[in-house]
Amino acid sequence: MHNFEFLKPSTVKDAVAALDTEDAQALGGGQTLIPAMKQRLAAPKKLVSLGGIADLQGVKISGEVVSVGGSTIHAEVAAANVFSGLKLLAGGIGDPAVRNRGTIGGSLANNDPAACYPAAALGTGATIITNTRKIAADDYFQGMFTTALHEGEIITSVTMPVPEVSNYQKFEQPASRFALVGVFVAKYADWVRVAVTGASEDGVFRWSEAEAAFSASFSADALSDLSLDACGMIEDLHGSKAYRANLVKVLAGRAVSAAS
Amino acid sequence: MGVNTYIEACGIAPSNFVGVLGFRVGLYDAATVRVNATGNISVMVGAHSHGQGHETTFPQIVSELLGVAEESVEIVHGGTAKTPFGMGSYGSRSLAVRGSAIVRATEKIISKSKKIAAHMLETSEVDLEFSAGAIRVAGTDKSVSFGEVAFKAYVPHDFPHEELEPGLEESAFYDPANFIYPAGAYACKVEVDPETGKVKICKFTAIDDFGNVINPLIVDGQVHGGLAQGIGQALLESCVYDKNGQLVSGSFMDYLMPRATDMPQFTVDHSCITPCIHNPLGVKGCGEAGPIGSPPAVVNAVINALQSGGHTHVTHIDMPMSPSRVWSAINS
Repeated sequence: MHNFEFLKPSTVKDAVAALDTEDAQALGGGQTLIPAMKQRLAAPKKLVSLGGIADLQGVKISGEVVSVGGSTIHAEVAAANVFSGLKLLAGGIGDPAVRNRGTIGGSLANNDPAACYPAAALGTGATIITNTRKIAADDYFQGMFTTALHEGEIITSVTMPVPEVSNYQKFEQPASRFALVGVFVAKYADWVRVAVTGASEDGVFRWSEAEAAFSASFSADALSDLSLDACGMIEDLHGSKAYRANLVKVLAGRAVSAAS
Repeated sequence: MGVNTYIEACGIAPSNFVGVLGFRVGLYDAATVRVNATGNISVMVGAHSHGQGHETTFPQIVSELLGVAEESVEIVHGGTAKTPFGMGSYGSRSLAVRGSAIVRATEKIISKSKKIAAHMLETSEVDLEFSAGAIRVAGTDKSVSFGEVAFKAYVPHDFPHEELEPGLEESAFYDPANFIYPAGAYACKVEVDPETGKVKICKFTAIDDFGNVINPLIVDGQVHGGLAQGIGQALLESCVYDKNGQLVSGSFMDYLMPRATDMPQFTVDHSCITPCIHNPLGVKGCGEAGPIGSPPAVVNAVINALQSGGHTHVTHIDMPMSPSRVWSAINS
């Protein structure tokens, strides 16, 4: 690991100011950045921890909206009285060590194509709130490891409309236990959202045909005539494009069965 | 359900036989047993223990033969400057070959102890019995303890030195008369999720005949570890290279090291005992049984499960049987 300067500001304003230099990098729970630095794949000159900012902490539930502070760890979300799909997803990320360090803001800012949280954000139609603006999830995710965030912009919170029912099904990549494929399904009064992580070369995406099918009939059988095009799926040593496309359909059906 | 039986030739190996096969080395092994003046015993062996428990099992042998406490026996290994010339630990040979060398060296210690005791008791060594840590004149209550003999060996003020050397240290090289042949029967029960191809092992039973068992707990542990290795081969582990020769399973983020959560609760049994007839311990090897016996049992179970589930066209899947390979076989 190369040497670096470390700052832990207590306000968003100070964090934004500290990030306004070349080679400065925001640090959430460090579950991706720190290993990358250890392998010298990343070498920021300055790390600005967001862990000391009280305003970025905690889960708030008010009526029809769950709001999660950007620096809230996965374990806290999993322990909170949030809707079942979110609770399941947060409680299944990594292992206890990861869940007690990793943050929702860190996960969404990194937008790993196999991360779980992007599926919850896109699957609920969340709003990603930063120090300067509000970004709809549909506009936020822009391909693997790519988001609408500008340099130095900080995720302060994520708000998710509470669905009637929801579920997340993850098929683990057996070595890393990231999502080989993960499918988040959320049913609202007038529509259903289906978000898929782990599968596509473009990162997290909505499976619009499944959304339409589930909106008409919220049951696994609604998928029987659908198949997902394997083109654009990820292919690696753990599974082919066709295998991932199959998993998306299987897991979407299971998520609906588990949610209903 | 999948079943596999095996018989293994291990405990390598008779030097005259391996010479005929073209090996450029002999496959004996060696031990030195040094009884110190305090009665503590150091056993120098020609192979290192890397988790298989030599430090526990070898003292049990010496302890039982000499009638001394196990904790008074120290195993010295891991440095060729301090140990006799041995041939290493592999091929399920440590106990069968090196353990036998320890027996031979300890028998020489007993023989020398009788010589010293005969001198101390002013009798003939042929009249002496060695048992339970003492040497006594048969049919009498005259005896000396092994500790007294050890001390005398290093304080030989009245030894007839032309007949009796000081010290109590012996070495032996043991060259086995044959291979050893452990055998076993393994059964594996699996569930396969046909939609994802994921295999779950529900139950695994390993029944082995290892001959005499010195330490049952260590043998259980060796079999458990071996089963994990074999199941890893059958379901998980693989070095994968891309078309450019780049290793793509280069870290534990992609290489599936077997973990506890990948394993079922094992049932192991080694109560069927057919002692080896040519080594002094009557032991066979247990180190390789698990990884030899388990992969075919797992593969047979998966194929049987798929055929029972109506996927009768699946007769073969390459190892490791990853979820994607099993799914592809079902849908081929």
